[in-house]
Amino acid sequence: MRDPHFPDRQAMLIIQTALNGLVLGGVYSLAAVGFSLIFGALGIVNLTHGIFVICGAYAAMVLFHVFGIDPFLATVPVAIAFFFIGYAYQRGLIQVAISRASLVASLLVTFGVALIMRNLLQLVFSPDVRTITPSYSFSSLTFGSLRIDIVRLIAVLVSIVFLLLMALVLSKTAFGRRIRATAQQPLAANLSGVNVPHVLGQTFGLGAAFAAASGAVLGIVQPFSPSSEDFWTLNAFIVVVLGGVGSPSGALLGGILLGLISSFTAQFIGPSYTNAVMFLVLVIMLLIRPQGLLGSAFGESR
Amino acid sequence: MTMRIFLLLGTLIVIVLLPQFLAPFHIRVVQLFFFTAALALAWNVMGGLAGYWSFGHTVFIGMGAFAAAHFVAKLGLPAGPLQMIAGIVFGALFCGIVAAIIAYPILRLRGIYFAIAMLGIGQVAAELANNVGWFQGDVGLFLETALPDGVEPERFFYYVFAGLFLFTWMVSLVVMRSRFGYGLLAIREDEDTAKMLGVPTEQIKAFGFTISAVLVGMLGATYAYSLGYFTASSVFRIDFSLNMIIYCLIGGIGTLAGPVVGAALMLLLTQIILGQLLELHLLATGLVVILIVLTLPNGVMGLVGGEAFRRRFSMRAGGKAR
Repeated sequence: MRDPHFPDRQAMLIIQTALNGLVLGGVYSLAAVGFSLIFGALGIVNLTHGIFVICGAYAAMVLFHVFGIDPFLATVPVAIAFFFIGYAYQRGLIQVAISRASLVASLLVTFGVALIMRNLLQLVFSPDVRTITPSYSFSSLTFGSLRIDIVRLIAVLVSIVFLLLMALVLSKTAFGRRIRATAQQPLAANLSGVNVPHVLGQTFGLGAAFAAASGAVLGIVQPFSPSSEDFWTLNAFIVVVLGGVGSPSGALLGGILLGLISSFTAQFIGPSYTNAVMFLVLVIMLLIRPQGLLGSAFGESR
Repeated sequence: MTMRIFLLLGTLIVIVLLPQFLAPFHIRVVQLFFFTAALALAWNVMGGLAGYWSFGHTVFIGMGAFAAAHFVAKLGLPAGPLQMIAGIVFGALFCGIVAAIIAYPILRLRGIYFAIAMLGIGQVAAELANNVGWFQGDVGLFLETALPDGVEPERFFYYVFAGLFLFTWMVSLVVMRSRFGYGLLAIREDEDTAKMLGVPTEQIKAFGFTISAVLVGMLGATYAYSLGYFTASSVFRIDFSLNMIIYCLIGGIGTLAGPVVGAALMLLLTQIILGQLLELHLLATGLVVILIVLTLPNGVMGLVGGEAFRRRFSMRAGGKAR
């Protein structure tokens, strides 16, 4: 016998899946925007990106358990701390490697650091999977038959606020103008009085800060462990390839697309196929339009 | 010339006699050295000579292994060394065909985009092998033992991998000395100029990629035989892909001896010296990689090669994104 509510339920399922995808995508966008900035402005593929994300999650976990700071509030101190860590890392190690060898060497150096940090995180926090569970973790809002977790909703809102912040910093402030100038033409920027090495370090710091802040948000939404770092690096790469390099809007578009792709694949093809479909989209996208849907925000530089 | 012949003969004698003096564990380590050094040499054809860094070469290890296992199982070939040879040849050919098919679209990408596209292809293949029931990648595949009667497995595979290593070495040598090899070098130095000067870059790249894939597929199929039982996650391994690159970089990318020296150094470090400290493995590898990049940007071979070497080979890859 036919189910009288059949088309209706199918539609609700699609809407619910789309909602899940949008929520997931919002968080993916925030996790990728730092990678996108560093890749676009410095040309560095930062393989330590996933480590920044995971470190942010662990930092938020420690702040929550030791000082009782809410993970969403923890994004601010974590971001500030990682700005300075990222700055020191770029000036102290990555820039040295690039000047001694080549830009490709930065790939190896960041990979080496990722291995070291992953090992250290395993030694300090154990390889176990962790989650951050504040008191409101399990409450959710319902609209008719649609349901959304409160934490996820807040996570998306926080992500969007951060992305807007990044867009405003890049487009409206003198600091953002220096970053864009350096990305377009380091030599010309230098001639106009910009301290290029300092700005490169600051740009990297900004990318690291956003990555760590996203980690604090992700820690509440998804379980994490030291070995999930490479997932977040790859994820950021896919988001950037989908959306386009260097701009917050590209990261947002790419992140939301990726969120939708993974939630629809999980719902309608099977949860074990999400990675395969994600990478398939990545490869196809690279072959058809390698500059991403929105192109490179720093296009003049290459 | 006579010096070289003596050197080659000496090396051959050492390789043949070495197992007599080693404990089984150390025979396995040397076997692993032959395997990884041959992988690095195969990667080097595309990554070192042409400057096309693949981050997903493990896809050919996995495809070689799966193709060999399904081929011998479907045909029902009787177990033994001949079955192994048939499996390995089929695995290598299969990888070559797949590489020749994907070569044209994938090699339009350059630099980091090519690297990541290969990584993506590796991931897609691994996920499909793991999740599509027909491949049996999740439950695993058995390969019947190929051992002749009365031969210990570690010795047998020691000699098999030694042979494959020498074969890969010879192929690399021929490629590097040939006009085709100079074509690959020209692509690495400046692809657009090479094309303008009449180097058939498309064909050369596709051919180099296919050779690299055939060699890796052959090694992958043999690796599957040496395991006896394998799953998708034991042959599609990202660390294989990364190790190929790291060994080449440590030894000296684009050279013949570099990948071999790099593999020897890293195995010595990770298997022998740090064999007891398993939980610090990643940390040590990471430190070595960083130190090499900072102190020896041209690899160990750059240290002994002098100025002429440095002009010819340096740590670089095709930089632009097409």
